Amino acid sequence: MAATGSPAPTPRTDASPRRALVLGGNRIPFARAGGKYVRASNQDMLTAALDGLVARYGLQGERVGEVAAGAVLKHSRDFNLTRESVLGSALSNETPAFDLQQACATGLETVVLLANKIRLGQIESGIAGGVDSTSDAPIAVSDRLRRVLLDLSRAKSPQQKLAALARLRPGDLAPSVPRTSEPRTGLSMGEHQALTTAEWGITREAQDEIALLSHQRLAAAWDAGFFDDLVTPYRGLTRDANLRADTSLEKLATLKPTFGLTLDTPATMTAGNSTPLTDGASTVLLGSQEWADAHDLTPLASVVDAETAAVDFVHGVDGLLTAGVFAAPRLLARHGLTLDDMDYVEIHEAFAATVAVTLGAWESDEFCRTRLGLDGPLGKVDRSRVNVHGSSLAAGHPFAATGGRIVATVSKELARRKAANGDDRPVRALISVCAAGGIGVTAILEAA
Amino acid sequence: MTDTYLNLVNSGFTKKIAKQLGLPRPVPLRRHQPGRPLVDGPVLVLGTGQDADTVAHVLAGTASSAATDARAADATLLAPGWDLDVRRHAAQGERYAAVVLVLTELTHPDELAAPVLALGSTLKALAPHARVVTVSRPATPDDGPAVAAARQGVDGILRSVAKELRTGATGNGVVVADGVPVTAPSVLGALRFFLSARSAFVDGQLLAVDSDGGSLPLDWDRPLDGKVAVVTGAARGIGAAIAETLARDGATVVAVDIPAAGEQLAAVANKVRGTALQLDVTAEDAGTRILEHAQARHGRLDIVVHNAGITRDKLLVNMTPDRWDPIIAVNIAAQLRINEQLLTSGDFTAEPRIVALASTSGIAGNRGQTNYAASKGGVVGMVRATAPLLTAFGGTANAVAPGFIETDMTAKIPAVTRQVARRLNSLQQGGQPVDVAETVAFLASPQAGGVVGRTLRVCGQNLVGQ
Amino acid sequence: MTAAGGTSPGVADLRREEVVLPGVPSLGRLYARGAAASGRLVLARRFGRGPVDLPEVAYVVAGVQADAAHLTAYQHLLGETASDVLPAGFVHVLAFPVATAVMARPDFPLPLAGLVHLANEITQHVPLRLGQAVDVRAWAQGLAAHRTGTTVELVTEVRLAGPARELREGPVAWRGVSTYLAKGTHLVRGGAGDDGGAGVADGVEGTGGADGRSGSGSGARPAFVAPVPTARWELDAGTGRRYAAVSGDRNPIHLSAVSAKALGFPRAIAHGMDTAARALATVGAERGDAFTWSVEFAKPVLLPGSVAVRVAADDGPGGGWTYAGWHPRSGKVHLTGSVRPL
Repeated sequence: MAATGSPAPTPRTDASPRRALVLGGNRIPFARAGGKYVRASNQDMLTAALDGLVARYGLQGERVGEVAAGAVLKHSRDFNLTRESVLGSALSNETPAFDLQQACATGLETVVLLANKIRLGQIESGIAGGVDSTSDAPIAVSDRLRRVLLDLSRAKSPQQKLAALARLRPGDLAPSVPRTSEPRTGLSMGEHQALTTAEWGITREAQDEIALLSHQRLAAAWDAGFFDDLVTPYRGLTRDANLRADTSLEKLATLKPTFGLTLDTPATMTAGNSTPLTDGASTVLLGSQEWADAHDLTPLASVVDAETAAVDFVHGVDGLLTAGVFAAPRLLARHGLTLDDMDYVEIHEAFAATVAVTLGAWESDEFCRTRLGLDGPLGKVDRSRVNVHGSSLAAGHPFAATGGRIVATVSKELARRKAANGDDRPVRALISVCAAGGIGVTAILEAA
Repeated sequence: MTDTYLNLVNSGFTKKIAKQLGLPRPVPLRRHQPGRPLVDGPVLVLGTGQDADTVAHVLAGTASSAATDARAADATLLAPGWDLDVRRHAAQGERYAAVVLVLTELTHPDELAAPVLALGSTLKALAPHARVVTVSRPATPDDGPAVAAARQGVDGILRSVAKELRTGATGNGVVVADGVPVTAPSVLGALRFFLSARSAFVDGQLLAVDSDGGSLPLDWDRPLDGKVAVVTGAARGIGAAIAETLARDGATVVAVDIPAAGEQLAAVANKVRGTALQLDVTAEDAGTRILEHAQARHGRLDIVVHNAGITRDKLLVNMTPDRWDPIIAVNIAAQLRINEQLLTSGDFTAEPRIVALASTSGIAGNRGQTNYAASKGGVVGMVRATAPLLTAFGGTANAVAPGFIETDMTAKIPAVTRQVARRLNSLQQGGQPVDVAETVAFLASPQAGGVVGRTLRVCGQNLVGQ
Repeated sequence: MTAAGGTSPGVADLRREEVVLPGVPSLGRLYARGAAASGRLVLARRFGRGPVDLPEVAYVVAGVQADAAHLTAYQHLLGETASDVLPAGFVHVLAFPVATAVMARPDFPLPLAGLVHLANEITQHVPLRLGQAVDVRAWAQGLAAHRTGTTVELVTEVRLAGPARELREGPVAWRGVSTYLAKGTHLVRGGAGDDGGAGVADGVEGTGGADGRSGSGSGARPAFVAPVPTARWELDAGTGRRYAAVSGDRNPIHLSAVSAKALGFPRAIAHGMDTAARALATVGAERGDAFTWSVEFAKPVLLPGSVAVRVAADDGPGGGWTYAGWHPRSGKVHLTGSVRPL
């Protein structure tokens, strides 16, 4: 049912009013669920990430234009999570804030939104971010208990109260734990990916290689001190807890498959080539050139543009996590760019297979013609340009915090490459983050 | 770090018991609070001759007609805020907050008696937290023997008086090199530092002023206004206190510590409204990165405080390379490398200040700390040799040698040993991180420009060492 | 147009006598009555007596209205958005007691207790909304031979009621045909089934509905090959109780393992219309306002249990969507069906 392809893209000619710049970032190391951050709330972690950012860039008491952040797993008390975090941080209490939620794309979308506001001149500076805790996840009471409690609070007479309470059954007291499955399909994200993985014939070996590379690259970046000005330790954790620098293909090969067990094809997805449940928070500092100058900050990259796509996975038209495959060509076409113009491609590693399918789809002549409406393959991306400092498989994936991690990391890398090049050649990165609900957010960043 | 003993002997019935038993009764020290007067009462200036008159006029804040040196007038004009109640003759029953002995013009030990006995007559009635400060000249081989004897005698007097003082009072001396007037910025700076509550835990020390370098601050409460300071090891303890004190004195602080200490570092940076730089000082390019950060973010770099340090105690008989090498690498080699990168950058030339943390262990030695003492002794030597390299730019390098300071590090010392260690000084207590920080801030200040390559102890006149 | 309370010719069959009920009967009472009637019927059959023809009667209830809380409960349980449009399955729930009343008549030739729901086809011609009163008319037709017994179709038609809630002869807004099998009751000779184990639908004749399409099950059925799933339903042990609460269908086979065992099932089984309605909800808003929603039930879903599901657009000439639910491990089919816009 979904329309294939898109109307003939016309490269944008109107000059953007002004640039929105990534000035820096800060995150806390990502912890495994039940690990070092087991008692830390989303607000605690987001505040810590904000305070680290404030400390790095000297923003104490600064009234930042706006702070936008969010969490996927959220307590009802956290309805104003970001504003509350700002109030608890070293930023000025007069810094406005709002919450945003777009599942795993939350973090990237906050960057896009604040960048747009900066480009429009609505704000001069902004902090984008995201946080998630699977250790401190909200647990709700059952629907029946909830209804009884609500009726009880509305009841006026003792009789009405008794009547409300009388409806309770022992089973109603069992809590209801948040589910990670898609509401409309009942399939977990892993099961959805398993269907897509099987459809594209992605092998176990190919997935394990992606996982291994992720760990190796992230470990190398940590060892080289790359994250020294991107991460502030928290609760005694100084590195991403999920990182296994010493893993190997042999070790990964010993893991039992966990998804796609009931499919006709061999199950290939394991705990090793899937992201674990993770706790963490990330932030990105954004600003206009003027604001950066006034604060003696050196811009790392500019947020060029973004495009979000969604797929109809409910009726099996496309895989749940393939929306980025559709968004990227639309985004590239809008700027008259190709994959070859991207020095870096960051594909959120929800699963190793997500990366393999995304790259495979862009290389597929048939898929690009029939589903993307292109004249041929979008292009081939050499793995040396993909997730150069590792990604979610190694770092972990606190849902809403992943976008901020990727943007800050790749922005620093863009600036570094531009400085190393020593010339005016543009250095660009394409970011693609898939999310629940069949959503995919993509963005182009360019070294400032 | 609470000193329970100190609290016990200063409050309630335990105070009475301690008094009756004749137990050592340390008092809580008076520490600097912006806005509080420099000293709480009249100041007696003893000594004869022009220097004594000049000092008295400066302290009184009166534009000195007696001062033949135009600099004195300048100094008082530029640096208001003295305005002390100055007396020139010891009066019976007067309670002095400070006694300044100006002994720069001694020619023979015979001349010591009058001023020193006059000092003695005031001791009984000294105000709590009083200050005794001598101003004298160093004994050098070029002096005539009688002159040298008189001058060196002052050192002995001062160190002895300091041990005699009670109730938080301290005695320190400024030793002014020949040819340097007593109105030199560093003489007045050091004099003021010793008079002030900033030097609460500095006791029995003689600080040499080697030149008339440096300048008096426009505002004695914010001598570091407009300066950009880097503090290594700033995440906790003494480093955090230094960051806070420098910021209080007006500096913009870049707080540096290893990435693993980033959480506390961020808290410190946010508290002092500075910036955090997660950096291992042993990194090859640490100096370059510090300079880059300071310049990019704050436009300049004026002050570097080498505070980062570690211990790996072991008797030498059991010493291993893995306990030796890191100490040298962090505590002295890193400082040497960073200094070299700063000095050769060409961007550390506007009256720069280097202040390094030594230790009394590095001066007096300490059982089980050959490695640490090597590094800290090294610091003493390093600043001595580094300072002359900076004088051409109006800069200097000095060291601070803390004694027993109440920190996380000393909290790990076994309880009894800790109690004993605390009492082994004239003030009968451990110092606070802020005491070290105040001394660092003084040595980083413009008025310390004439202190060249010296090491100032912050130890409450610890019994060990010099 | 005739006055409410009188008899009027049904659009579908002028020969039937219309019995106007004062309101929608209670399903519980109907089941009790039906169980008693079934018992009598079994006894009568043993003596070679009992009715062999369907009663020539249509039951009518005028001015039926949905209750908002009931509607919302249904919508939330089945995964529909709580809009004011009555889901096609909800109209079935509203009208079901009227059809059941027909089957609970003493002269109904098949025992109500133990009837197996083989298939269902609902055509939603125009959307019905909360607040609109409707008339419900139900009758039985199409007694037919089955390999294991006799099948019957219960036809229910729903029309918008008049302004004064009088019975009208307006166009049919909703029409449902439910096919039931009475196992072991052979009233009609011939027309043996062609395949399948117990409870597998086959040989359902055309429903004679307004669209004139024939049932989808005639002829040889290809063996079911599990397609790529698009969803998975995790149905816990309380599934039957929850659907019973919104549908009123408290048949013991759905409620608990104990009550189901008493009736010969290893565990409780899910309501067929529950699973079919979940599939309809998964098709979602794209189905539009007017469509035909059909389902054939095969092996019952034992509770608790998982059902692998595919709901996908039908690329064939029929258009619309097809769906299927099957056991994720054995691959045995539970239900298949389609949703086709009109």
